[in-house]
Amino acid sequence: MKPLIVLFIFLFSLQSNAQNTTIAAGEKLVFSASYNMSGLLTDIAEVKMETSEVTTSKSTLLRLKCTATSYKDWDDFFKIRDLYESYVNPKTLTPYLYKRDINEGGYYKFMQYKYKHSSKLVSSLKRKKNSDDTFREENKTVKIGASTKDIISTLYSIRNLDIHKAKPGDQQEFSILFDNKEIILIVKYISKETIQTKIGSKECYKLAIALKDHNLLKGDNSNLLWLTADANKIPVYAKFKIPIGNGELNILSATGLKN
Amino acid sequence: MKKAIIILGFICAIVAVIISVTPLYNLAFAPIIVAFLSGLFLIYLSKNESSKPKTIQYIFLLVIISLSLTIYKGVVNTAEVGDTEQLEQRDEENLEDSKEILEDLEIDEDF
Repeated sequence: MKPLIVLFIFLFSLQSNAQNTTIAAGEKLVFSASYNMSGLLTDIAEVKMETSEVTTSKSTLLRLKCTATSYKDWDDFFKIRDLYESYVNPKTLTPYLYKRDINEGGYYKFMQYKYKHSSKLVSSLKRKKNSDDTFREENKTVKIGASTKDIISTLYSIRNLDIHKAKPGDQQEFSILFDNKEIILIVKYISKETIQTKIGSKECYKLAIALKDHNLLKGDNSNLLWLTADANKIPVYAKFKIPIGNGELNILSATGLKN
Repeated sequence: MKKAIIILGFICAIVAVIISVTPLYNLAFAPIIVAFLSGLFLIYLSKNESSKPKTIQYIFLLVIISLSLTIYKGVVNTAEVGDTEQLEQRDEENLEDSKEILEDLEIDEDF
């Protein structure tokens, strides 16, 4: 019974502290993604997470942008030029517009979600490239839950959790809209750990990440994320295991931090 | 038996050299190890013979070449991002398009 009460308090505290205290415009995080090849980790791509302010005539929003670019040596084999962006409310990180524009080894896909939170609907646009270089589009309206976000705003929302109040084993579920389907991401707090990174030795919160009822990220603590145990909660290191292998994400630099 | 080891060692040594010149050079360690072990086994098999087959020397030579290339690349190569001009262009286009969409979008700040 006691763990249930603790979990309830944890979840309640998370819900009531949904204000953004961690992310500001102008933040830039650069990572190196490596993949395990015959037992050796090989750097394959650079991942950047940037934030900036976007002003419209009605409001000022926060643009969360993630790019993945394969390193030069890999471009001839498997060129990656991915762009993910989410336009969110700077106070609550609630997304209004999401775009995924990916180009991976010649495979092109574009996804766009326009959120209508009052009616809990998302207007989705999918664009794919045909073999004859023409594009085909698919428009859809998807019903979403009250707290459903896209993958980018969810990544930033994880940083906004009050992890300092959590006990090892506590977990939080996030509903994500990906490829027009809602999936549940489970984030579990494991422990505090001090690790060596390119930006120095950092005390971190170690989190396990898994997708509910999904084969991509399994819930056996094999997908781990280390967030710095400070006010910025920067993701400094990640380990992931997917059906085609495993890899790591290491931070190279972090600038423009809020705290 | 000896012939099979020679063929295996030789093929692995050639594969190791080929892989070591590509960006996948990290993968070359597996065939290097197999070729090296095949070479050692061939030395053991032919220890009673007065003249050792030339293939052993070739296998070791190829192993040394691929190992040197792999180690050299591992030390010298620095990860560098390729041409991002197209990505930057897509980024700018998306930003402009997003601004237009956001102008028309109903933005409820209560959420």
